[in-house]
Amino acid sequence: MEFKVRTYRFNPDTSDKPYYKEYAVQDFPGMTVLNALMKIKSEIDGTLSFRRSCRSAICGSCAMKINGISKLACKTQVNPEITKFGIINVEPLANMPVVRDLIVEQESFFDKIKEIRPYLLGQREDEEHHKFHALKEGEKIIQPVYYKSEFQNLTGNNDTPNCILCECCYSECGGVVGNKNYLGPAALAKLYRYSEDPRDNDRNGSRLVNGSKQGGMWDCVHCQACEEFCPKGISPVKGIVKMHEKAIKNSITFSSGAKHIISIAKSIQETGRLDEVKVAFDTGGITGLINDLPMAFGAGLKGKIPPIRLKLIKDMDDIRLAYKELDLEGK
Amino acid sequence: MITYAYYPGCVAQESGKELDDATKFVAKKLDINLIPMPEASCCGGGVIDGFDKNLKLFINGRTLALAEKEGLDILTICNTCTLTLSEVNEELINSSESLNKTNEYLAQIGLKYSGKVKIKHLLYAIRDDIGFDNLRKKAVRSLKGVNIAPFYGCHILRPSNVVKFDDVENPQGFEELIKALSGEPVSYARRTKCCGFQTILVNEATSTSLAGNAIFEAQEKGADVMVTPCPLCHLSLDTYQTVAARSINKKLSLPITHLPQLIGIALGGDYAEMGFSRHNVSLRSVIAKVKQNEI
Repeated sequence: MEFKVRTYRFNPDTSDKPYYKEYAVQDFPGMTVLNALMKIKSEIDGTLSFRRSCRSAICGSCAMKINGISKLACKTQVNPEITKFGIINVEPLANMPVVRDLIVEQESFFDKIKEIRPYLLGQREDEEHHKFHALKEGEKIIQPVYYKSEFQNLTGNNDTPNCILCECCYSECGGVVGNKNYLGPAALAKLYRYSEDPRDNDRNGSRLVNGSKQGGMWDCVHCQACEEFCPKGISPVKGIVKMHEKAIKNSITFSSGAKHIISIAKSIQETGRLDEVKVAFDTGGITGLINDLPMAFGAGLKGKIPPIRLKLIKDMDDIRLAYKELDLEGK
Repeated sequence: MITYAYYPGCVAQESGKELDDATKFVAKKLDINLIPMPEASCCGGGVIDGFDKNLKLFINGRTLALAEKEGLDILTICNTCTLTLSEVNEELINSSESLNKTNEYLAQIGLKYSGKVKIKHLLYAIRDDIGFDNLRKKAVRSLKGVNIAPFYGCHILRPSNVVKFDDVENPQGFEELIKALSGEPVSYARRTKCCGFQTILVNEATSTSLAGNAIFEAQEKGADVMVTPCPLCHLSLDTYQTVAARSINKKLSLPITHLPQLIGIALGGDYAEMGFSRHNVSLRSVIAKVKQNEI
């Protein structure tokens, strides 16, 4: 079967703006998009630029947009794409500037990974003997060893260590589209991974405090794209939500995101419903209310105002019991 | 006649009352019997597990048990309610530990859940249980010539291992519905992207720029109107449209309807009864286009 590959092309040295170029490619059984791109590069157009290395979905180099979705070219078969879209449309990942053709500038992504301190902090008190020192003759290096299953049992964290930093989640993330300073799913998944690691010695909860600052975990828009499109089956958004829960339970609630969730929980505890007015006030405070006043006034004029006092749901005691059972009353 | 336990969610009962009204109108026209759930609580707005994971299980497990007691599936009209109820349903079906824990709570309030309830969003309930052909037959007004941009929103599509209605990479359910009503679906890239609602009170600039970009793209592609299956998306796209325009520094003026309002027009609903007067952006231009087909 002959099929078409339509690629994004841009070389800032020779052209002012990007354009698309089409190539006709002959397939072979099991052909991947990366195979097709390599065929184009070696047989048709040597100027086409893209990153690639392992061809086994483990290095994360060949991530790109394939028919609009961020994927690893080496893990994406040509056939199902052609069946669904009739063409292979390839573009560079989103949310990062293009260097050339399908290659993006990764600096902002890795700066954010560095920002969350992707390494174990400090030294545990019970591990004094692990401090760095020159080995004496015959002394062996002793390191705490955690088997994968043991790590999973300790942390409930069975996916985030598998991240290959391919940037698919970062490219699809709604939060990054809206805010270039947002840490993004990969960095936050890593933050979760280290905040749950039993070997980490984060004595004052600095990971969750730093992660609660502007551009951190509370700026997640919950679009679920990071989970959906991760080629390694990781769910950064679930890790982010677990950090929300951990932060609130540890009273790290200075961010408006934490206040927002607490207010929703309180509203349900009191009425069984989500009180739109109260949640807006609790989250944004007076400043937020003043900012939104023109918009709220306009909506009010159209009659689009939630009731000031909500009617309780029927059998409200059932909900109160849930809070009591979980020891959440007054939290 | 098909019967569902009707779970409108909080916004459709509060600031988005027009959505509830339009849904009831459409249900009547399509012979859908909606059984109210006055005992059902808020699902937690898609963020309650950030407060306590078990609370999410308990309050939504209770809603599922209430529907199961009546032997009914749940009909939703909000994407976030759809995802939250579906997530809890999946967990209760697949984890005996979660199910036992939830049933211990439910036993104290005289309920039990065994995992029999299905959650259906109105869009896909019409596709699967009513059929687009039936919808086409019942339409009395044509939407011919109206360019309609479907905005799916996130939680009706993702994660696709939980909400399994459509092809997450290239969904077509919405487009098929628009075609069944003789409308012209507008194709644009951001139709499956995020409206930003979840952070609208936390980080308004992030949120409104997402909504603004989607509206702008649909506008550029010639849309007369955008339609959404979610009242939270509607708040972002319509109520906050002026803020969104400022946020992306572009001129925006695109009418946004709730899904059942659009269907309601096609099924002969009175324009005033559809509640368009409660919208920020006027629907006048769209109604004028539909009226042209009536002449």
